[in-house]
Amino acid sequence: MSKIELENLSKSFGDLQAVDDVSVSIRDGELLCLLGPSGCGKSTTMRMISGLETPTSGRVSIGGEDVTDKSAYERTTSMVFQNWALFPYKSVLENVAFGLKMRGEGKQERREHAREMLTRVHMDGYEDHNPTELSGGQKQRVALARSLAVDPDVLLLDEPLSNLDKRLREEMEIELKEIHEEFEKTFVHVTHNQDEAFTLADRIGIMNEGNLVQVGEPSEVYHNPKNRFIEEFLGDTNFVSGEVSAVDGDGAVVETDFGATIEFPLAADEDLSQGTTVTVSLRPEFMSLDAASATDGGQKTAARADGNGSNTVVGTIDTVLYRGSTIRYFVETNGESMFVERSVTEEGELDEGDAVQVSWPAEEILVFRPDGTRVET
Amino acid sequence: MSVTTRNSLLDRVWEPFRQQPGSRRALLLMAPLMVFEFFVFIAPFLMLLRISLSKQVRGLPYEAGTFTFEAYSEVLSSEFFHGLITYSFKLGIIATLLTVVLATFYAYAIWRSEGLTRTMLLFSVVLPLLTTLVIKTYAWVPLLAPRGTVNELLMAIGVLQSPIQLVPNTTGVIVGQVYIVFPYATLAVYSVLSTLDWEIVEAARDLGASRPRSFFEVVLPQAMPGVAVATVVSFAWSVGAYAAPGLLGAGSDRTFAIEVETQMLVGFNWPVATALSAIMLVLMFVSVVILYTALNSVGGDVSHGA
Ligand SMILES: Nc1ncnc2c1ncn2[C@@H]1O[C@H](COP(=O)(O)OP(=O)(O)OP(=O)(O)O)[C@@H](O)[C@H]1O
Ligand SMILES: [Mg+2]
Repeated sequence: MSKIELENLSKSFGDLQAVDDVSVSIRDGELLCLLGPSGCGKSTTMRMISGLETPTSGRVSIGGEDVTDKSAYERTTSMVFQNWALFPYKSVLENVAFGLKMRGEGKQERREHAREMLTRVHMDGYEDHNPTELSGGQKQRVALARSLAVDPDVLLLDEPLSNLDKRLREEMEIELKEIHEEFEKTFVHVTHNQDEAFTLADRIGIMNEGNLVQVGEPSEVYHNPKNRFIEEFLGDTNFVSGEVSAVDGDGAVVETDFGATIEFPLAADEDLSQGTTVTVSLRPEFMSLDAASATDGGQKTAARADGNGSNTVVGTIDTVLYRGSTIRYFVETNGESMFVERSVTEEGELDEGDAVQVSWPAEEILVFRPDGTRVET
Repeated sequence: MSVTTRNSLLDRVWEPFRQQPGSRRALLLMAPLMVFEFFVFIAPFLMLLRISLSKQVRGLPYEAGTFTFEAYSEVLSSEFFHGLITYSFKLGIIATLLTVVLATFYAYAIWRSEGLTRTMLLFSVVLPLLTTLVIKTYAWVPLLAPRGTVNELLMAIGVLQSPIQLVPNTTGVIVGQVYIVFPYATLAVYSVLSTLDWEIVEAARDLGASRPRSFFEVVLPQAMPGVAVATVVSFAWSVGAYAAPGLLGAGSDRTFAIEVETQMLVGFNWPVATALSAIMLVLMFVSVVILYTALNSVGGDVSHGA
């Protein structure tokens, strides 16, 4: 049993509120990713779980036991630091055996144990190296082995992958996931990289300015961001602003500044008044892009003489960006620019200068009030 | 056109050096220091060695042109000089131990403090260096005197019934000597500590090391180069102590440095004074080498058992 309960956890450094009233229950054996921009309090939260930082107020309990007043060395957590924090005057083997030594395990036994751990992270053969001789990826493995060797109830990972290059990071993500499955421990993983969080997490906790804004499964967070900050942070999207021009029983219409009309369904208990200025997120991966000529005669554009209909807009492709597996088309429409993402398999169908029609499904629209809160659709 | 920018001037000065291969260039750059060292240390020391091999005579510092090991055999065979050398080394060892332990903790405190506290702690180490040796050593007399601050304080809080003698005696000498070398030792340790990453200590604690344990397991091994320098400086200075024993010591607190002075100026016996100096130099050199090697093997060796 090693579920973690954070209750109204706060930490301030002088005037600065680094963590502000965070409450969350982390399930036993879960891999929770804390995701958020730099300085939002992820490390501080993590350090309070490990006992390296004392909360200003609030409680931490691990496995049902209140550990708020216990120091780091009494807690059954183990942390992998952002810069790995390997002991430079000790060999790789000594580093991994350190926690076991502190526990009073015999020399033969702990060396044996440490060797097994090094083998597990594919670092066998490096026992006698000095950590300073290792590459970033290797240091990271040693740090991981060092933390796993003490058989912690909770493994805390503070951006351990952020100093690695993309390829290595992706490799380590998969390996971390395997290790998580194999060791069946509760993992809390801090990152400011969205892809990393989505790849690894059972649940994602998104932080902003010391607050835990939303906790949920990756798909939940992705499809149902609680507010504008999350939508903006999770990935590139098109934000367009406009005014609510009509609200009826089950839908609303927004007139955008650049002439397009956005229509979307409205949740039953949602009250949105006419005239409210809202921000609408049109996600590039849900938008469709067609050559204007192909739909010219169609019904979609028939609604308006200028071709701008409900949830559709016409424009010209301004720029085409190749981003590996996807292509990003920037479409210029009435002085506004928006972008659409397509799979690279559709490469060559459209080109810069082409007249196109952009449209989006009404059910994938996210609408936010001026204060950033979501309008339920 | 004869515009001499600072750069071109520097270039011109550098020119003769640049043409030299690396090792010779280093030698050339070191030359001024080497010349200086030769005139103020090596040459006088050779003269000193020559005097130590001269005959002792009454009424003159030494008899020029003579050659004998008389002074050495006198120093090496006399109980009095043995006692003197032993006292010097005892003082050196005790003062060094105290200094290095205190300095290490003080340096640790500076390292762990922040902002104004850190500035104040650092400033108070450096402050004694701004006064002359004699004044700051003498300043201990009113503090340690029978009715001085320390005794009064200890009596006021009930630790002592009547004042104890702290000065002039060996206690005073040790206090004074520790005080003299403390800043240098602290700065030596601090300079190394300040390059350490605090996260390493946190990692140790996180892995189950208690506060003292994490200090001895990860801080001390890394601070060892600084501790080694602190030890060597404290030791060399304390064995050769002159001011503290002279000002705060009783008649029995005679270090070899004080004896050298007496032999030279009072006894007018230069061969014995110089022979004593030469013997001490050899002893010091040997002990410093042993000390330094020993200290360096403690920290920084990767192949030590896990
Ligand atoms: N020891 C400290 N003293 C003062 N301020 C601190 C301290 N530790 C953190 N802070 C501040 O608290 C805030 C949160 O810091 P924290 O390290 O938790 O952020 P983070 O989310 O981990 O950021 P990053 O992604 O950059 O690591 C920051 O504004 C930081 O400057
Ligand atoms: Mg951080």
